[in-house]
Amino acid sequence: MNVAQAQETNASASAELRRDEVEQLQQQLRQMQEKFEQREAEDHAAIAALQKQVELLAQKQVVVTNVVVGSEPTNTVSPGLFKELSDKVDNVVEAQKKTLPGEFNPALGFVGELVSSYHSQGANQTGSDRPGGFDFWARSLELNASASVDPFAKAWIVANASADATTGESTFGIEEAALQTTSLPGNLTLTAGRFFGEFGKLANIHDHELPFVNRPLVLDQYIGGESRSDGAQLNWLVPTEQYVSLTAGLGNNFGGDSPNPNNPGNYRPVGGLNFWGRASSYFDLTDNWQLEAGVSGLWNPKTQDRGGALVQPNGVSTMTEKERRLAGVDWKISYVPLRDNQFNSFTWGTEILFSDDNFLFDPNGLPGSGDEYFGDVNSLGLYSYVSYKWSRQWSAGFLFDYVQSAQNHDNETVAYSPFVTFALSHWNQLRLQYTHTDRSGSSGLRPDDALYLQWTWIIGAHSHGWTQR
Amino acid sequence: MKLKLFLATAISLVFATHVHAGKIRVVATLTDLADLTRNVGGEFVEVRSLATGIEDTHGVPMKPSFVPMLNRADLVVLVGFDCEHAFLPALLEASKNPRILVGKPGYVDCSKGVSPVDVPKSTDHSEGDVHPYGNPHYMLDPVLAESAVKTICDALVAAAPDHAADFVKNRDAYLAKLDAKISEWETALAPYKGTKFVSYHEHWPYFAARFGLVYYGTIELKPGVDPTPRHIENLIASMKADHIPLVVREPQFPEKVPALIAEKTGAKLVKLPIMPGGVPNSETYIAEMDYIVNTIATALKK
Repeated sequence: MNVAQAQETNASASAELRRDEVEQLQQQLRQMQEKFEQREAEDHAAIAALQKQVELLAQKQVVVTNVVVGSEPTNTVSPGLFKELSDKVDNVVEAQKKTLPGEFNPALGFVGELVSSYHSQGANQTGSDRPGGFDFWARSLELNASASVDPFAKAWIVANASADATTGESTFGIEEAALQTTSLPGNLTLTAGRFFGEFGKLANIHDHELPFVNRPLVLDQYIGGESRSDGAQLNWLVPTEQYVSLTAGLGNNFGGDSPNPNNPGNYRPVGGLNFWGRASSYFDLTDNWQLEAGVSGLWNPKTQDRGGALVQPNGVSTMTEKERRLAGVDWKISYVPLRDNQFNSFTWGTEILFSDDNFLFDPNGLPGSGDEYFGDVNSLGLYSYVSYKWSRQWSAGFLFDYVQSAQNHDNETVAYSPFVTFALSHWNQLRLQYTHTDRSGSSGLRPDDALYLQWTWIIGAHSHGWTQR
Repeated sequence: MKLKLFLATAISLVFATHVHAGKIRVVATLTDLADLTRNVGGEFVEVRSLATGIEDTHGVPMKPSFVPMLNRADLVVLVGFDCEHAFLPALLEASKNPRILVGKPGYVDCSKGVSPVDVPKSTDHSEGDVHPYGNPHYMLDPVLAESAVKTICDALVAAAPDHAADFVKNRDAYLAKLDAKISEWETALAPYKGTKFVSYHEHWPYFAARFGLVYYGTIELKPGVDPTPRHIENLIASMKADHIPLVVREPQFPEKVPALIAEKTGAKLVKLPIMPGGVPNSETYIAEMDYIVNTIATALKK
């Protein structure tokens, strides 16, 4: 190798070395660039995540501003605002930490009802326990309480302090105190305690819930007013597309004003209990017209001289109830327009009852004298009413009453009652009613004209129950 | 033999309520919730609504024919905030269906997650038929309706986990559709931001807040209490003073008083549905909101 060749070789080696260096540098540069791009991507991702977080917070802020209607929504959230909100939330949470001894108290409500009236005849000529002439009667002063007992039952109590006609004192009584299951299988509901048994449409609601001032005469005379009983009742909703409700019950007594319980103190056989039942169904005639109908029955095989010996108008002979049999059929046709039923509706309701009681007749009024005999008295009674509502506040209607005495079907009573109702609100209602009552001469009573002004009010818990629909 | 047949029939009737074929049976109280449920549930649900759309949300008649429907329901979907207090508690009691009682998975309260407005400071009835939990008419805000969609989807997923993917897919598709419509509605009402209006009942605070309108007051004296002559007089005077351009009448309320107020104040009177089906061509939630937005925009257009 000569010098020239050596120089050329050195130059070539040197060039190669430089190329290697350049390549190395380029590689480093690429790596740095990749690292930079990777970091840039990470930073972008971090920025995007932060932006998303800010957007979410801003959305939450918009929702929060909904609480104050009319305030301008804002998309900025400052740390100060967060602290303020956080403090407010903490304060609210702290405020909830209270000791509430009454936390499990039931829902309470009170119903007041004043019936002011004028009767043209005195009590001895109307058979009423209210005096003739002018009268103010605090008829219903009801305290209601209800709550769940546990996951399986609910309970309620209705205590009524109605003013006594004779003394004027409010006598406190328990109208209802019952327990009802909420989760029995098979569409069954069991009610037990003191409650209003199912019979017809208007016997199992309270006075102040009636669509007119007084309970129809036939319900007063055949059932004893409200269908109160101490007993048990089972209801079955038949599992079909068609609404069918079946109810059966038994109890010591049936009827709030009835002499009860039957012959207290004596041994009561099964036949001494009252048995009742009801079947009802419902049909949508159109979207706006409804029909609800039912049949009911009550049987007390051994009344055990319920009410004692009833002295007849001749003042000598007596009759004593031995068996109580009552059947009823009822229907209600209603126009309830879907659109404006709060302002417009119509109802026609009718109930017909057949009483077939068995009595021990004693013509000379001397028990054991040998002239006694058993006999049935068949009698019939009904009421029918229409009611029309033409505004949220105003409605009016007419009630027709007809009843044959359950002891003597020749003794008939007929009554006609137009009424008008003004509801200031759901909880404050006035009703004016005129009633003309005609009675058979055999009753020993006289025709009567009466004017009623009923004022009903409710405070506290108030629910729209299924029975009162 | 006859006895056996009778017993078999009776037992099958008793337990028939627990047998159902395939579809989830949903009863919605109102038509908007029924529509949302159909959109999310698709072919896997059978949805029925207690209301037809023309009722007052607080005044759906308590028909016994609803009882068998509720008796067999797997889910009851409701607005909540006591909106259905006048009919639903009694119907649930009569329906004897423990699956849909309050607190059970079948009781789907769509107010979950909604911040109520107008929560009363006192539940005294001197303030009328107040809703103790706040104004329940949040479904007229489509963004809050989206919250109801999510609640319904969660309930359907819980009821039928096998179809969870279908429900989620349907939900997302419907929410995307609703999002697009919300933008459209916001654009349509944007020119009228700050416009004040009155209505018969307090249905519109959520709607007003969403679209930048200002809810001025109600024709009713208090919720559920008709206006007195003095209230009408005062309302007319203040509306005149504040130049209120719009009176909204919900179809279930009488036209007489809103028309009188509109006439005396020179405001435009519009009839707006409060749920799908309330007026013709509003049979779905989106169609209902379209109707509301278009009617207001048309009325306020100068």
